[in-house]
Amino acid sequence: MKQQKVEKSKYLHLRGQKKPKSHIIAVGGGKGGVGKSFVSSSLALFLSQMGYKTILIDLDIGAANLHTYLGLNTPENGINQFLSTPHMKLMQSKMDTNFKNLELISCASDALETPCLSESGRSRLMSSIYNLEADYVILDLSAGTQTSTLDFFLMATQHIVVFTPEPVSVENTYRFIKSAFYRRIKRFEFQLNLESEISMIMGKKDEYGVRTPGDLIHYLCKHNPEKGSELEKLMSQFKINIILNQGRSQKDLELAPSLESVCRKYFGISCELLGQVEYDNAVWQSLRRRKHLLVDCPTSRLYTQLMSISRTLTKPHHRKAVV
Amino acid sequence: MGSARFNEQTYYEILEIEPGAAQNEIHLAYQKAKSTYSPDSPALFTMFSEDEARELLDLIEEAFETLSNQARRKKYDASLAVRHSSKQELPDLEVTTDNEDHSSSRTDTKNSPGVRVLNKRDSVPEGFAKTKFSVYEVDKDLEQEIAESNEFDGPFLQKVRLYKQINLEQISNETRISKSYLSALEGDDYEALPAAVFVRGFVVQVARTLGLDEQKTASLYMTKFKANSGK
Repeated sequence: MKQQKVEKSKYLHLRGQKKPKSHIIAVGGGKGGVGKSFVSSSLALFLSQMGYKTILIDLDIGAANLHTYLGLNTPENGINQFLSTPHMKLMQSKMDTNFKNLELISCASDALETPCLSESGRSRLMSSIYNLEADYVILDLSAGTQTSTLDFFLMATQHIVVFTPEPVSVENTYRFIKSAFYRRIKRFEFQLNLESEISMIMGKKDEYGVRTPGDLIHYLCKHNPEKGSELEKLMSQFKINIILNQGRSQKDLELAPSLESVCRKYFGISCELLGQVEYDNAVWQSLRRRKHLLVDCPTSRLYTQLMSISRTLTKPHHRKAVV
Repeated sequence: MGSARFNEQTYYEILEIEPGAAQNEIHLAYQKAKSTYSPDSPALFTMFSEDEARELLDLIEEAFETLSNQARRKKYDASLAVRHSSKQELPDLEVTTDNEDHSSSRTDTKNSPGVRVLNKRDSVPEGFAKTKFSVYEVDKDLEQEIAESNEFDGPFLQKVRLYKQINLEQISNETRISKSYLSALEGDDYEALPAAVFVRGFVVQVARTLGLDEQKTASLYMTKFKANSGK
């Protein structure tokens, strides 16, 4: 046991040092039904149309349905096979879609039992995702704040949180961001040897006046300036993008910049609004026809809204024509 | 406490703007911040308690009051520069020199002496009178002074307001005039006030809320305003 820990610490400093072979975008959100799969499939469609080689990965293990959004039948191959077959490569489990440049790795399975994601399975999957060769890899995450979901969310180079303008969704969104934030701190506390200090502070939160995650870092900076500022520096690299989905009124759409501001004030992290997407009945109507909205109903207002979000995403990587 | 961190932010950080922001940006940021941190804002759900939101809202108000006024902003910027160069720990923001008038407005919203919310059925005991917001003890000398006064300036308006136990927040909610303008009105801070035509509208509304003669108050206040402000 002890030996294992030593081994682990030997490699821990390498964490986060290795660069992924693609730009990984994680689409998450605390609540189910807010449109994570719709948003991630739409972004993937646009990115592939822009000419980027895109791989869409369904990580909603147990409730996968990205293939349906893309108008495909239940795939035979996917993450489940990858996890249950020791020497299989993740590349082998991907499937073509009807769209150029877009491939899907699904985890839908008709097996009797959905395989449980063990810790070793999770790290194998994560390192395989890291090594996928593509321009963009988009991870569609499950709802909730299970550690595996948070780990997939945090492994990405860009973190997107989708929410709808309802109190339940707002509450879960905050909870999700908070959990991700603490999970991220947990990852660094071992590296910086701050484990005991942080657990002591969190144990006596009220006594130390630590109410928000931002307070925790602030407190550490004051009392342990060297490591506190190092942690602050590491955490400042953590940026979150938010997308408001299913906005029905102007007031709903105005909620997005407010949420952005509250996240900044509460967490002290950079939070940026990528865009707002309106509510449109065409989404479920297209789904019933088993086609993606962007294919079935390109006249919908959502088309331009999602396109502008995709363009914002790719801005730093825009390919420019060379004359 | 937890929200102590907000007190340590500069006014620019509170309004989430750049230090060189233009007036219209300050105004937009203020409106956005106000709608975000108003107690019934859905964005605050489960994140900030009502008290914290109110504290933030007060800070936002204070930040706007200072930054929207050119002269005060200049002073504040200078104090920031001093603070920055001496690299001291950030002192309390209320150190800025000419904050007396609005810091008093902050205290009287918080410690408003015994303001009670009235039911319609409440009857007023003898020797007391009531407004929409409060019950106050009638002071005959002051009533006479109000009736006979030929000069209505800011401090006098404030005197009447305090006498009737109404705080700035209540007037602001009722009239939709921002607290910064109300305290400028009471402090005779003509520089912080907009053009005369707007000021007249403000005075009429404030007078109505305080139960004063609107026309008389407005014309007296405006005489003084025009004589002194040059607007």
